[in-house]
Amino acid sequence: MATTPHQHASADDPRVLLDDHMGLYEPIPPYPPRTEREQEFYTLGDGEMFLNAGPHHLATHGVLRVVMKLDGERIVDVDPVLGYLHRGVEKLCENADFHQTIAYMDPLEYVASLFCEWPAVMAYEKLLDVEVPRRAEYIRVLTGELNRVSSHLLAMGFHALDLGGITPILYSFIERDEIVEMLAAITGQRMLFNYFRIGGVNGDLNHDFMSRLGDWMSRAGQQVAANAALLNENEIFVQRNRGVGTMDRVTAIKHCWTGPNLRASGVPFDLRRAHPYSVYPELDFDIPTRAEGDSLARYLLRIDEVKQSLRIIDQCLHQMPDGPVMAKLPRLLRPRPGRAFAAIEGPRGEYGIYAVSDGTDQPFRFRIHDPSFLHLQSFTTLAPGGLIADWMTLNASLDPIMGGIDK
Amino acid sequence: MSEDRELAPASTDGAPNASSALVIPGSTSVMAPIVVPNTLWSAADPAAYADGRASEYTHLAEVEASGIASRDDARWSGVLEIIPTKADYVLDLLRANSLWPLLSGLACCAFEMMSSATSKNDIDRWGMFPFRASPRQADVLIVAGTLTTKMAGPLVRLWEQMPEPKWCVAMGDCTCSGGRYKRSYSTVEGIDRVMPVDVYVPGCPPRPEGLIYGMMKLQQLVKDRRGHWPERAVGPTVPAGV
Repeated sequence: MATTPHQHASADDPRVLLDDHMGLYEPIPPYPPRTEREQEFYTLGDGEMFLNAGPHHLATHGVLRVVMKLDGERIVDVDPVLGYLHRGVEKLCENADFHQTIAYMDPLEYVASLFCEWPAVMAYEKLLDVEVPRRAEYIRVLTGELNRVSSHLLAMGFHALDLGGITPILYSFIERDEIVEMLAAITGQRMLFNYFRIGGVNGDLNHDFMSRLGDWMSRAGQQVAANAALLNENEIFVQRNRGVGTMDRVTAIKHCWTGPNLRASGVPFDLRRAHPYSVYPELDFDIPTRAEGDSLARYLLRIDEVKQSLRIIDQCLHQMPDGPVMAKLPRLLRPRPGRAFAAIEGPRGEYGIYAVSDGTDQPFRFRIHDPSFLHLQSFTTLAPGGLIADWMTLNASLDPIMGGIDK
Repeated sequence: MSEDRELAPASTDGAPNASSALVIPGSTSVMAPIVVPNTLWSAADPAAYADGRASEYTHLAEVEASGIASRDDARWSGVLEIIPTKADYVLDLLRANSLWPLLSGLACCAFEMMSSATSKNDIDRWGMFPFRASPRQADVLIVAGTLTTKMAGPLVRLWEQMPEPKWCVAMGDCTCSGGRYKRSYSTVEGIDRVMPVDVYVPGCPPRPEGLIYGMMKLQQLVKDRRGHWPERAVGPTVPAGV
């Protein structure tokens, strides 16, 4: 029987999907509009055209597909098409027990994995009413800030890469590789660490980690400054970023922006200070902000954050208390029925986990809040009026990660 | 090796560059192949190249006429058919040492793939570096990251846009078998359900060294001429000898 489009035996069978290419992945305009917004977007005006970028495109930071409506080289409208990396994490987590869900958190934000584990274990600790040992909290902050530095360094490198500069990414990866190698010394994995546990962390710091960290800290500031000097004094880079994608503070708050993108618009909101968690109240650091709100400000703010992260790492190493790294908990966790929300400040903004327990060993409902998803919605506000090249700048400076967006 | 396939002897008048040296003896056919002994390189697996067939078949037309040719041997057509098959061995050597991967990162593994391309683990040392953005310029498709059902069609389209000969490396547990998302409703449990795979690199994600090892395995595969799949059928099939 010949397979006709949209009449499959099973939509989950990829072999069936291959039979008709056009049904699955048709270029532009794709499908009959289902909403008013699609009706408006897929109606071409005088002299306008569509341009498709993605899902395989270098500047989309993953498998994002962006349909642009163009008038010449000016962008009239933008339609991001999501779901190319939808892995069904929330549903998987609702069918796994509380310990197993932590492993599903890592690949969400794969350049900063610890920041997705962190809100999950915090939410479970709220459900279980567990007190985490102080040494474990310090280790969480220490490893988390290391991960934040590696994420921001990669963001700087990819920002330059999207604008055509190859060299900065090579320097960024040197520092990033060193950081993930030292984290691998205590977690056993380079990227998807699976290190945080409910009530603590998986293992104590070891000699390999500490010697690597001490070695790296002696040159970290210098290296970061050298990496930044590659770009900060690059006339082309600055010209292409200044004044592009300018977001004012009111619109940024309305669009639910968080993290460096919000602070680059002049709002000094940081969950580490606004809703303190872990041991951040005991640590001394600043919340850098910038008033401009353009792509250059978002880039520069990440460098400022790296400096603050290095300060925090230094303080953690000096104030690290002795003691256990895990609370005493039964192996089988059955929290009382209830719900909990925990949020932390990640390198891209506020990561939140909302978990509902029904008294069994599995979460009844599991909801992931990801900041990149909210930053992505501002494409339709910021990109129109600019050039196609400006959209590259905008996307790179917003620094979305598709794993968290598509979940 | 029979006598009439020997290289046409140079003229005997003593002047090596005299025009008479270019005159073809009447007894020799124009189509007689030039046989050059292979002192350059030999395959690690002596059974490679059509099960170590006898070297009297030096001409692709003869190979085709003999009926032993599979689809894999019939890569050349048109003018290139007059090139002896020894040239094919050399071309495989060139291909193996200049594998251009397609820069197609799907998820987490993409960062380890990029890490293997940058300063610390520099796979340019083995001739695998220029990550091409266009599938039409790429030799190897490194599928790095979870393949979802929505992305399956675009990825297969990328694979089909790549010119032959081409190879596919499945990087990471998700692409090998589904990995930690095996039970999900929206992922493809292993990319060998939608495209042929030459090398599997397990790990979640594999270290850059792991990817480099997999790519070196692919180089050996290319040299042994086992990487090319005669039938690009959809679905899990395994070629002979792999």
